[in-house]
Amino acid sequence: MSDQKPNKKPEKKPDITFFHPDLLEAPADGSAPYLKGYRCRKCGQLDFPKLSPCPSCWGEEFDVVPLSRQGKLYSFSDNFIGQAGMKTPYSFGYIDLPENLRIFAQLEGEPGSFRCDDDVELTVGPVRDNRDGVPLVSYKFRKLNSR
Amino acid sequence: MKLQRKVYIAGVGETKFGRHEVDFDVLGRAAALEALRASNIDRPTMVQSAYVGNGTNGMVTGQTVLKDLGMCGHLPIINVESACSAGGMAVHMAVRDVALGLADVAIGIGCENHTLHMAQGTAFATAMSDIETVHGAVMTGKYAMRAQRYMYETGATAEDLAMITVKNRRHATNNPYAWFKGEISVEEVVRSRVVASPLTLQQCCGIADGAGAVVVCSERMVKKLGIDKPILVAGSVVRSGPYHNRPRDITGDDITEETAAQLYEESGIGPEDVNIVELHDAFTIAELLYYECLGLCPKGEGLKFLRDGNATHGGKCVVSPRGGMLSYGHPIGASGAAQIAASVKQMRNQCPGYQVDPVPRVAMTHVTGGGLSGTEHAACTMHMLVSDW
Repeated sequence: MSDQKPNKKPEKKPDITFFHPDLLEAPADGSAPYLKGYRCRKCGQLDFPKLSPCPSCWGEEFDVVPLSRQGKLYSFSDNFIGQAGMKTPYSFGYIDLPENLRIFAQLEGEPGSFRCDDDVELTVGPVRDNRDGVPLVSYKFRKLNSR
Repeated sequence: MKLQRKVYIAGVGETKFGRHEVDFDVLGRAAALEALRASNIDRPTMVQSAYVGNGTNGMVTGQTVLKDLGMCGHLPIINVESACSAGGMAVHMAVRDVALGLADVAIGIGCENHTLHMAQGTAFATAMSDIETVHGAVMTGKYAMRAQRYMYETGATAEDLAMITVKNRRHATNNPYAWFKGEISVEEVVRSRVVASPLTLQQCCGIADGAGAVVVCSERMVKKLGIDKPILVAGSVVRSGPYHNRPRDITGDDITEETAAQLYEESGIGPEDVNIVELHDAFTIAELLYYECLGLCPKGEGLKFLRDGNATHGGKCVVSPRGGMLSYGHPIGASGAAQIAASVKQMRNQCPGYQVDPVPRVAMTHVTGGGLSGTEHAACTMHMLVSDW
């Protein structure tokens, strides 16, 4: 082993372009994407994002539950000063799902077009560029019937 | 944690807040030396433990601050990080050491330099390991969502929120330690550029540099040092933020409500007895919500409390008498310690031009810290201070 590649640096792995398959399912057949909830087999608590062990009972076995694709926009903000490296403006908000879960997500749509308690639906799209400068795809929400 | 024996503040120090050409260690050292001298401490070997709060300036920040005061080697120096709560938490740890009998003299310092290190035109976010951060979360936008919902539910306007900036800048008019101060109109605040809707630039604390320091000691030591205006630490509470991924009311703030309840219980002092408060007014909306969360007024009456003049001179409780973070700016690791330093000066009648009249006997401080997904804040630190002479 010692005579093999003594000075070679470890190869840099490309950064991910799809944010975490544990959270979001975007079927290859083109059917509608959904967020993945995790129901603890021991205590029944439903969580998003996946928390393992379950924070309520430390159970480690879960059933995946497809979450509702529609929810209500509890609150939001249009951001004109953002994180270092992110293009502005961009909007984000809290979306409340019927499963009694609150999701933080970016919003697709023009700044100034959102209102509290708007009906919104899940979509998939770029949320930022990754370290390699390639768009990172994740879940987002947009106003219901906006296209 | 109920304090096991009496703890007193002997002396405090603070730097001017703003944009500094010198780094965090120089600022921290200046505040520490002022606090030590104000405590009649005249040599580096008298302090038995030190806690140094800092959010972003790297490793061994405390030793870097105290080395040139000749203190390294004489005492344990422990570095404290909890984002915006770090400075308050450092003082809390010093209080703990004295309360538990581990030290007779301890110092808590908060110091930070952002402007030498941070890219201009960007907002604070937590680590990329956080699911909300990956999706673009920044602290400005997270507070803005609270404002958005508050305005939606109560009908409060941008002009209502702007009154907080106007009040705090007026409080700071003659405060030499404050950065942004003096007259500003509601219209100027509302018309400044939007940072995160509905919050405009003049409703957000500045990204600043500065430091504060607080020397605490036992009852025996406060007499030995000859402190003629000792401040009793009637309560010192640190809590971590409960996690929820379910719908909740963000016009409240669970961690602040819980920390305040514990502080009132442990100190035996209620909100109606508090003369002045320095709270976490990083954004206008925060101060408004905290009137209610701290119990200064009933839930839903924050705006009335402000409009009736109850949060300013002559009111029920002067909130942000130093000008708050909206005037000082907010070097995240420094603010918690600086709030305590400024409150002690008020209680000692050492604030010419911005002194609260009558001189306050009971002061309360409050800092939260850290945007962590699922929590309102990662940490909250509060102190209750009482004049004891």
